[in-house]
Amino acid sequence: MSVMTPKQRVKALFNRQPVDAMPVFSGMGMVTKQAVEKMGIRFAEVHTSGAKMAESAIKSAEMFGFDAVVVPYDMCTVPEALGRGVSLYADAEGILYPTVPNKWGSLDEVSLPQDVNSIFSQGRMPVVDEAIRIALAHDGGKYAVGGWVLGPFTMGGQLLELDVLLKGAAKDKERVGAFLDKMTDLVIAVARHYQDLGVDYINIREMGSGTDLLSPRMWKSLIQPNLTRVFQALEAPRVNHICGSTDLIVGMMNECGAEAISVDQKNTLTETRKKIGDGVLLLGNFDPYGLLVQKNVAEVAPAIKKCIDEGVDAVWPGCDIWPDVKAENVEAYVKAVREYGAGPSPAVGRI
Amino acid sequence: MAKEELREELLKELNEGVVEFDEERVKTAAQRVLDEGLNAYDAVMNGLAAGMEKVGELYDQQEYFVPELLMCADALYVGLDILKPHIRPEDIGTSARGQVVIGTVQGDVHDIGKNIIKMMFEVAGFTVHDLGRDVPLEKFVEEQLKTDSEIVALSAMMTTTMMGMKKVIQMIKDKNPNVQIMLGGAPVTSDVASLFGADGYAESAGNAVQEAVKMIGNLRKLQNQ
Repeated sequence: MSVMTPKQRVKALFNRQPVDAMPVFSGMGMVTKQAVEKMGIRFAEVHTSGAKMAESAIKSAEMFGFDAVVVPYDMCTVPEALGRGVSLYADAEGILYPTVPNKWGSLDEVSLPQDVNSIFSQGRMPVVDEAIRIALAHDGGKYAVGGWVLGPFTMGGQLLELDVLLKGAAKDKERVGAFLDKMTDLVIAVARHYQDLGVDYINIREMGSGTDLLSPRMWKSLIQPNLTRVFQALEAPRVNHICGSTDLIVGMMNECGAEAISVDQKNTLTETRKKIGDGVLLLGNFDPYGLLVQKNVAEVAPAIKKCIDEGVDAVWPGCDIWPDVKAENVEAYVKAVREYGAGPSPAVGRI
Repeated sequence: MAKEELREELLKELNEGVVEFDEERVKTAAQRVLDEGLNAYDAVMNGLAAGMEKVGELYDQQEYFVPELLMCADALYVGLDILKPHIRPEDIGTSARGQVVIGTVQGDVHDIGKNIIKMMFEVAGFTVHDLGRDVPLEKFVEEQLKTDSEIVALSAMMTTTMMGMKKVIQMIKDKNPNVQIMLGGAPVTSDVASLFGADGYAESAGNAVQEAVKMIGNLRKLQNQ
């Protein structure tokens, strides 16, 4: 029988205190089409209204039994606030996430405001703030509310053409280093802003820095110092999330100073747990599109059990949940987390 | 220096210039190919493209990562820009001629993989109609009809935009069943490609690079036969 509210459960987990059950949550979007349909709106509408954004997240949590709500859903809010625009695809068929249409084409074009806090009144930043406030207040603060910000390198890739950033990382190190320094300041400002609003945990998603793209050596020199600075500037609880190939860098990820490491399905969890020990929360690592959208419902529970058997403290999807989920698969995912996560995990005991 | 010896030396310069992403070295060697009256297509396939094959091996071995790949591609383009105007149609042969429409589907602004595949087609002598990124689905159909291209190559880096590919394939095949459709990008698998009715695929973003490099290698083998 549950003795904790969803918020208490998530907060206890991050404090590495015993919980009554493994929480079902994420540090990335968990909005479902079932919730959006129940609201009678199109997916594109959730991005531009704080009320709809919050309601779609809360409804998804209520329908499926998630312990947290996470907003926003797209990665364009900060670039938009910095004048890079946003493509919302309001008329497109099906589900398309917003993208950034006008990235800077070179380092010479980079132009950031003197006062980084000025961005909080721009674009959809106030919409996100409103969604966070609504989510925090809902039902007496029942749900944990997660905030997230892209990591400095990934934020840079949303603002500056990615090939310019990647090539510059190798042959224009000084200027790219200075640019990433500014990105780090930006990430800290946004993450602190969300912490000031009262989010229960903050996830820094340095998703474009796995070893599919960058060498471990480049990760150490270009990514690690900036992530470390971000985590030093934030209050706990903090999550360090990277998707893609992370086996070669997960030890360095752990040195950055977050309470939790989040990885996707490419990570070898058993090896990671050996590397980071039991004193750090490990979150991961099922493929959300494969498991919740494509696969047969019978395949869900074994995949969730595998994550738990391999040493996670909470089962996290490797990325945002793709909204077009099969309801029965999400139900099976939640049920399997509660069932197989009944016992203690490496870093967190049970009541 | 004997002509064959000179040819070998310049091919090596082009090859190593690409591998070491040394644009100046590639530029000098490519210009010398023209100045010495050597065959431009031979220099592209057995110098530049051979270098890119080696780059693919280094990527497989995790000695090179995406930044290095992009710099190697830049070096290759420096040579290609100099040599391409001097390639004679009879050198390319019928096997590698054709037109391709290429683009990244709507909702996806990631075009690094697409640009490397585009380079591969250009090296092989194809005429490439690059629609860019975040391309509305109907634009692929319009461009294929307008250009009568034999191949349409679609890229999506994100799972979230992959579904758009299925619609494009249906739209194109309805209008012209003989068009060959290639899919590429991180979320695309052989099952997805087959389910969507595509004719070919590249397994992942990284794999797309390898596939492109292998395709360059295959084209070189065909050409050398």
